[in-house]
This record gives sequence, structure tokens and C-alpha cells, in this order.
Amino acid sequence: MTHPERLAPVPAPADSAPVVPEHSRHALAASILAVAEFQLARLRSPLRLLMAGMGVIFPAAVMLAVRWAAAAIGNGSGENLDAGREITAAIGMDRAMAATMLYALIPEAVCMLGLLVTMCPAVADELERGTWIHVAVRPAGRMALLLGTYLAAVLWTSCVAILAAILAVLVSGVPDPLPLIGVLSGLVILSALGRGALFALPAVILPKRALVASVAVALVVEYMAGFIPAVINQATVSLRLRSLLVAWMGWRYKVPADMRMLVDPQPPWLQVTAVLALSAVLLAVATAILEYRQFPPSEEI
Amino acid sequence: MLSLTHVTKLYGSVIGVNDVTVDIGEGAYGLLGPNGAGKTTLLGLITGQLRPTMGQVRVFGDRPFANPDVLRRIGFCPAADLTERRVTPREWVRYLVRLSGFSSGDAADLADVALEHVGLADSLDRPLGTLSKGMRQRTKLAGAMAHDPDLLVLDEPFDGLDPVARHDLVGLVRHWSRTPASVQDKPRTLLVASHLLHEVETLQAGLAVILGGRLVASGTATEIRTLVDTIPAEVRVRCDAPRRLAAAVCDSTGTESVRFEGDDVLVLATREPQRLAERISLAAVAERLSIHELSAADRSLEGIFGRLVRLHRGVAS
Repeated sequence: MTHPERLAPVPAPADSAPVVPEHSRHALAASILAVAEFQLARLRSPLRLLMAGMGVIFPAAVMLAVRWAAAAIGNGSGENLDAGREITAAIGMDRAMAATMLYALIPEAVCMLGLLVTMCPAVADELERGTWIHVAVRPAGRMALLLGTYLAAVLWTSCVAILAAILAVLVSGVPDPLPLIGVLSGLVILSALGRGALFALPAVILPKRALVASVAVALVVEYMAGFIPAVINQATVSLRLRSLLVAWMGWRYKVPADMRMLVDPQPPWLQVTAVLALSAVLLAVATAILEYRQFPPSEEI
Repeated sequence: MLSLTHVTKLYGSVIGVNDVTVDIGEGAYGLLGPNGAGKTTLLGLITGQLRPTMGQVRVFGDRPFANPDVLRRIGFCPAADLTERRVTPREWVRYLVRLSGFSSGDAADLADVALEHVGLADSLDRPLGTLSKGMRQRTKLAGAMAHDPDLLVLDEPFDGLDPVARHDLVGLVRHWSRTPASVQDKPRTLLVASHLLHEVETLQAGLAVILGGRLVASGTATEIRTLVDTIPAEVRVRCDAPRRLAAAVCDSTGTESVRFEGDDVLVLATREPQRLAERISLAAVAERLSIHELSAADRSLEGIFGRLVRLHRGVAS
């Protein structure tokens, strides 16, 4: 019997082959950009565009519905007349009310939903499509897949949410809308950066249950732990966004006393730095996990 | 170029690869085994997707797992079909080449050259969903070859292809593996996994046979066939008097073992199955026996694998 040993090479006849260019020095950056472009192209499917359109329209529709409801109550008769007038005034003119509603709808709801559908399936999608192995066998494939998908998710979600903010602010009828759009856009970008990094962890740890795990993380970490008093809770994106909203809207001294414990009094640059640092740490951990993850052949497809 | 030393890979309590030791140098090689034999796991270990539970994998002298320096020199064409329906071959191959670290411009040039090389110059911008399986296989192959790897690993590259597409792809792969070092300025290795012996034979490659996660034989196709021919083949006869038949044929040279299954089945092991079959016919006439069934030696690949395993375990001499 011939036991496993050195095999004899097959002789090679003369032939020609294509000439290849020099290898790029910026391999990782090129790979990340490639993945981001590829993922953005995937996101431009009719279904994803429809979902994005709904994300753009949803906050504006809510604001419009609230205005119409308030106007209907205000124009009616009976015991709700005074309340209706107050609500109408608030919705149409009060920036604080509009900003609070839009904050809840856009940097919180739209961003969160956008990232759930773009970031969570970062690895699961590749495994299901059978493309994971093609990517993972490339030199910086795993890292590029995660960071490129993150970049695409942040860009896509930010664009959708900023468009939603512009439309919703215009529909809400607040005077001087540009500063409010600016505040919301800033919060949207930070929300996308922070939450995208947060969802990267379930995406790499539990790829096939990433959506469920991310919803759980969003509820537990962002919404439940996010409402722990700020002196204890320093590591949630929601605390930073809330604090930035208060700071950028100039509400620092208008916040009711019992709500102040939910807001961090640190200056805005520190809040922004905290979100960026938290995102960097989460992404570094997720990248390290993915770099050493093994998926048996049966897990693909 | 490629060295595995006592490599074992476990998935929990399931054995993927079991104590495999092999060295592979420059040239073309086939990894042969039935479905579930451990070929894909072995390729996963070689291409750095999996880490061995025990033993050592070395590709170009380094561990391949999570090692960009090694992965840069590997091209891998997995068995799974491409399910990216909206993407075109040009977009897909450019994407993969860019993931190998090339700039966008270089990737575009390399992808176009590779796609032209595999015969897809006329279908560069058609969505993959509209292409035939053969064209998608070519696209996968172009993606694996475009960045000019030193080691090209193909997992079931001809699976599901029609004969014409198969012939074309075999020629393509053979052409790649035989491009000489003088042209390429570096040695090249081709490793093709398949469950079909004739596919690998057409590549005129060295062979390694894997079964149940174990490497059970290696050599050239001729060596493997010679090896198989030295293993006694079983001939199964169902007749009304198996013991009388056994007595009549056992004196013939080449019958190495006899066993009975129930009252009507005789199983004979021989190195000369053709001669034994003739002898059985003569004995049946002479003894006036009724032969209900005579199964020739199993020459299928599964049969060959089975015999190799028996040989490997020392069951056969």
C-alpha cells in the first residue's frame, strides 16, 4: 500500500499566463471599501429601497397625524377644546415638543430599525448566501467584512434617518427648522455609529440569532440600562444621545429636576468622544471574535 | 509548499479529519473521496478557515489560520454555488480581487483578464442569476485565480456541470497548473477535491484518497488502481447449494477466503474475479447447481474506497 507521503509533482509544459500588477500597500483599507461598496449595492435592491422609503416617511407621517389629530380636537367643541388648542399650539410651534418627538422617532427608532436590518445579518447573510467562504479566504476578508458592512450600515442608516429628519421637521411646522435638522442629523450619525458597533457583537457571536440577540441588546442595554441614573450608567449610547440633545437644544437648565439624573452634564465634545470610543471598543472586540471564529462547512448555506 | 502533520479536526464529538499526514509540493494533486469523507474540512484547514484540533498545518511554511500573509497566496473555489443573483461576474470577481488588497483599478484589470481567461468575456455584465451553472462555476474559478495565487484549491469544481462545460473547465484548470515556473516566476500548486476518480484522472494529477476523515492512500492514478487491484475483491453468489459450490471452486487458485451468509449465499474473496466467475459457471454446470444471482466485484468508487479502507485497517492483506 502507498501510505500518505510526499506526492510526485506533475511536470509542467511551457505556456503563457496573464501579468498581474503590484500588490497595493493599503490592503485593509481597500478591502473595507470594497465590502462597503458591495454591501451598499446589495442594499439598493427594490425591497431594501422600499423599506428605506418607509423609514423616511414614517416619522413625517407620525408628526402629520399628531398635528391633524390635535387640530381636529382643537377645532371641535366640548370639554377637550382647551386641551386640543394647547396641543395644536405645542405641535405647530413648540420646538421642544417637536424635538423630543423627533428624537424618539428618528435617532432612536428609525436608526435602531435601520441598523437591525443592515448590521445584524453581517455574518449570517454571508453564511446563507454561501459567500462567507469567498470572503473569509481573503487576507483581510473577515475584518474587512465586519468593518465594511459597518461602514455601509452607518452610511445607509444615516442617509435614511437624515432624510427622515428633514422631512419630519418640515412637516412638523417648527419655526427656524435648520438648527433642529442639524441637531437631529448629528444625533443620527452618532446613533448609527454607536448602535451599529453595538449590534456588531451579536452579529459575530450569534450570527444565526443576531436579530433576536440585537433586539434583546437594544432593549436591555439601550433602553433599560440607558435609564439607570447617569452617575451609574456611563456606557450606553442612549445616555450620550440624550445628553447631547439636552446640550445642543440649550435645555440644560430647563430639564425638570427629576429628569436631570438621566442626563450627563459633561460637555458635548466629551459625549461625542465617549460614543466614538465606545464604538471603537465594541468594533475591536467584534473584529477579534470574528477573526478567530470557525464555521464548519455544514453551517454554510 | 503544503504540509499536514498528524492533523485532526473535531466538531464536538464528530471527527472531520482524523490524523492526516501529507506533504504536497509543486504541481497538480487530486483529493479524492466520497461525500462526507472530510475533503471540505481538509480544504478548510489548508485555506485557513479552520484550526486543527490536533496536529499542525503549514502552508508556505506558516500556519494558514487567520494569517493574511498565507491567505494572500491562496486562491480558493468552494463547492457551494454562487447565490448572488443580482451581481454580475465582473462585479463579483472585482470584489474578490479588491478583498485580496488590490486597488480598484488593478482589481478591474485583473478581473477582466481572469474572466476572459475562463471564457466569460461575452457575459461580463449579465447578472449571475441569469447565467448557467457552468458559467457561475467559471465565475467562481475566475474569482479564485484572478489575484494570481501560488496555491489554487478547488472543491468539487466540476460538480453538476454538463460534459462540455466539464471538459472546458478541466482544460482550464490543467492549463493553470501547468504554466511553468519560468513564465510565472514562482512555483504553483493545484489541489482539486472531487468524489469522481475520472475527473481527477483527467487532470493527470497526483492523488490522495480520503475516507472517514482519514487519508487512506496516495500516489498517481495508476498507482491507486494498481493498489486497488491488489486488494482481494468479493464475489457474491446466491445459489441453492452454496457449500457444494464452495467445495467445487475453492481449489481454484486466487480464491482467498470463503464465507456463507444464511443458507443460500456464498461470498468469495479473490484477486482474480474474472477467472473466479468463469470457474463458478463451470462448477455450476458440473454440479448441476442453480445460480440465482452472481454479483461481480464492486468496481465503483465507493467499492474502491471500501477496499482501500479495509486495506488501511489491515482487514485485507
